Amino acid sequence: MNQISKWSSLALSTTLVAGMLAGCGSNNDGNNEANSPSANAGNNATNTESAAPEDTSPLTLSYYSEDPSPNWANMQDEIGKTLTEKTGITLDAEFAVGDAVQKSSLIAASGEYPDLISAKQSIAKFVDAGAVLDLTDLIDKYAPHLKKLFEGNMSRLRYSDDDHAIYVIPSYNGIGQQYFNAGGGFELQHRVVKELGYPQIKTVADYEKAIKDYLALHPKDENGNPNIGLTLNADDWHMYISVTNPAFFATGGSDDGEFNIDVDTQKVTYHFRRPEEKDYFKWLNHMNAEGLLDPESFVQKYDQYKAKIASGRVLGLIDQDWDYGDGEKALKAEGKFDQGYGHYPVTMSADIKEASFWPTGFMAGSGVAISKDNPDPVRTIKFLDYLASDEGQVLMNWGIEGKQYNVVDGKRVIPEDVNNRKINDAVNFTKETGIGLYNLLSGHYGDGVKDPSGNYYTTNFPEQIVAGFNDVEKEVLKAYNATTWKDLFPKEEEFKVKPWGAAWNIPIPGDSEAVVIEKKLTDITWKRIPEAILAKPADFDKIWDAYQQELVKADVEKAEKIREDLVKARVKLWNE
Amino acid sequence: MKAVTTSSAGVQQQTLGKKRERSFWRTALRNRYLYMMSLPFIIWVFVFSYYPLWGWTMAFQKFKPAKSFWEQDWVGFDQFKILFQDDTFYLVMRNTLAMSFMGIIAGFAVPIVFAVLLNEVKNMAFKRVAQTISYLPHFVSWVVVAGIVSKMLSTDHGTINEVLMWLGLIDQPIQFLAKPHYFWGIVTVSDVWKEMGWNTIIYLAAIAGISQEMYEAAKVDGANRIRQIWHITLPGIRSTIIILLIMSIGHLIQIGFEKQFLLGNNLVRDYSQVLDLYSLEYGLQMSRYSFGTAVNIFNSVVSIILLFAANGIFKKITKESIM
Repeated sequence: MNQISKWSSLALSTTLVAGMLAGCGSNNDGNNEANSPSANAGNNATNTESAAPEDTSPLTLSYYSEDPSPNWANMQDEIGKTLTEKTGITLDAEFAVGDAVQKSSLIAASGEYPDLISAKQSIAKFVDAGAVLDLTDLIDKYAPHLKKLFEGNMSRLRYSDDDHAIYVIPSYNGIGQQYFNAGGGFELQHRVVKELGYPQIKTVADYEKAIKDYLALHPKDENGNPNIGLTLNADDWHMYISVTNPAFFATGGSDDGEFNIDVDTQKVTYHFRRPEEKDYFKWLNHMNAEGLLDPESFVQKYDQYKAKIASGRVLGLIDQDWDYGDGEKALKAEGKFDQGYGHYPVTMSADIKEASFWPTGFMAGSGVAISKDNPDPVRTIKFLDYLASDEGQVLMNWGIEGKQYNVVDGKRVIPEDVNNRKINDAVNFTKETGIGLYNLLSGHYGDGVKDPSGNYYTTNFPEQIVAGFNDVEKEVLKAYNATTWKDLFPKEEEFKVKPWGAAWNIPIPGDSEAVVIEKKLTDITWKRIPEAILAKPADFDKIWDAYQQELVKADVEKAEKIREDLVKARVKLWNE
Repeated sequence: MKAVTTSSAGVQQQTLGKKRERSFWRTALRNRYLYMMSLPFIIWVFVFSYYPLWGWTMAFQKFKPAKSFWEQDWVGFDQFKILFQDDTFYLVMRNTLAMSFMGIIAGFAVPIVFAVLLNEVKNMAFKRVAQTISYLPHFVSWVVVAGIVSKMLSTDHGTINEVLMWLGLIDQPIQFLAKPHYFWGIVTVSDVWKEMGWNTIIYLAAIAGISQEMYEAAKVDGANRIRQIWHITLPGIRSTIIILLIMSIGHLIQIGFEKQFLLGNNLVRDYSQVLDLYSLEYGLQMSRYSFGTAVNIFNSVVSIILLFAANGIFKKITKESIM
């Protein structure tokens, strides 16, 4: 009896396991199918290869990027076809989805490298593995346009003070980039400032008062659900954007990752150790005690956060526009423009300058590298050079003349119908034309730079941005005497350029002790900051002191020292 | 004399050995098709379970990608030393074991009770419906389950809070997911909800294997339903229970991390971090491949010890075991 049931149950459990395996198997099939079009496209291109003397014989290069590109159309879009026609090169692209850093680590460890690698800060792993080529000579011999583009900044392309090789063509930061609009700071719904008669929003006290006054007038929305004063986005890495970075912005610090660096002495401090920031978190603690902070701030997931914003009930945010944009888009689609958000440079007190626009100078670092497995580095660099040429840049940004833009009296103009599609049918437009898909492939000029014909290289320029504002936004801006949100913020010229760029852009060597220490520090911070904010105000100081001691115990001083050495090495590298 | 006997014994043994060898080959030849049929599976197991063990060598190196095996830096047990000196490691061990034990206790008791109860239901239609509804959540991904759970526990119109408020048990919504001490319980309960029906199937199958004659005999002897359950149903599925228990004790330390990762947040971090997540975050994500491997070796060794210990104990006590 026992024997029988034993075997029957064993057989059953085996079947269950087999069933589970089958389940996994079919999942993988799904993935493969999804991938196969790109693989096929790649193969076709290689099959038709015929060694012609010209450089435009078909060549397929594999390309890996750490940033997702959901609209990538395997170069079957109009720009992609033009690029293949001009250079013969087709890209077989793979974009990281999910945890990009992990994906890069896996590729770096695998020993099989894509021909072109765009891995942002993870490039250090490829450099450590000896996977990428030194581009110094290639650029010198074959890439006149890149050379012209990076003129005066060539020393910034070098990898490190110990290793002067150029591994990366910086493609994330545009040369001469100017910002015309602000997307950060503290946000308030337009209806809040409108109802309160456009009060001055400069300090956290102003900000708090605006929310409090509006909530007193309208505790509930039209459906009877309570309005929410301020909600934060603390899901995973969003913690940086919405909880911890605002702490230094509100206290006059600029973005150097988790550190604050003195612009003159380059003394590095883990930014939570600055006494000013204690006041900032104390203010958040006070907001919580007053019931103005959404109690779900530290529990909600990202999608719940966006859904909450889309409900229109959230009066205030502390976030970047790209982070909460999906929620606001839903509001705009419903025509609820007065529930959209404006950006205000809020600081702890009126004498502190909000440092969102602290200039970094040209920031090399993140960009594209050529791997040692690349079959033809010379043609690859020529391809990247073509993208960086005037012709290539206009193609990438504007599209094809006569189709996506016309030249009228020497000026590039986007026809009305094209512009409409660009805004209202963005996904399909991008897939068909390829505009915006190739910008991160090679070096390029930033917004606000004009080409020899007197036109801007990119399609982002002041007139264009103002044209994109809705009427409510324009009305609010007018009341504050501004044309864009940036006008409210302190200007770049008011700050001294940081000679090291930004600390978050300085790669840490893979085997450095700092890697583990900083991870530990982040673990402590992410645990302690929410705890301190949600604590009873009387307990705040106690928790904060315990937190500071924990940081010291976790070797924060050593991490600061290592960072300081890296920053000083970067300053030397970039400015000698 | 002595020498003669020993040598003759030796000869005897030799012939015996030869005979055994010959008989092995004879059986092998006779069963050649069976052997050939099992060959693919042996290869499969070797390729996927034994060949990767070669990678364990990484734990004793300071592994750097793109270097050949011989060029690696050998560091002995350094990676393990780092592991055992890390406070976080002990914290994640505590969380892993705590959630595992809670999971095993709840994940065993509930399906068994549910299976026995279902078995007693005489209305076939109701039985089928109850069974189907209960195992459907198994097919829902953890991402979705985590979304449902956090919505239910939300303070903003969450069902649980609404019900508790309506009953007057609390006068302010409770932030369940922000309370570190509730976390293990929430994970266990959501796991039970998701897997209960699925785990019941195996017990129902075992119960179906019990001969009806035994129940009839019990009835004749005047046993009521409770007695029948206690004396026939439960003993009938005892070996299934024990086999599954031994196997899950072997997996005690490998509980995956989806539930903890998806349900957790920074406030409950001290209670939500588990070993697998630790090896991912502190190993692979930092390119500390050797360290990650060391964590996993530790993992496997503990699992094997647990498995053998459980097997041995049950063998002694109940005379049931899987080996």
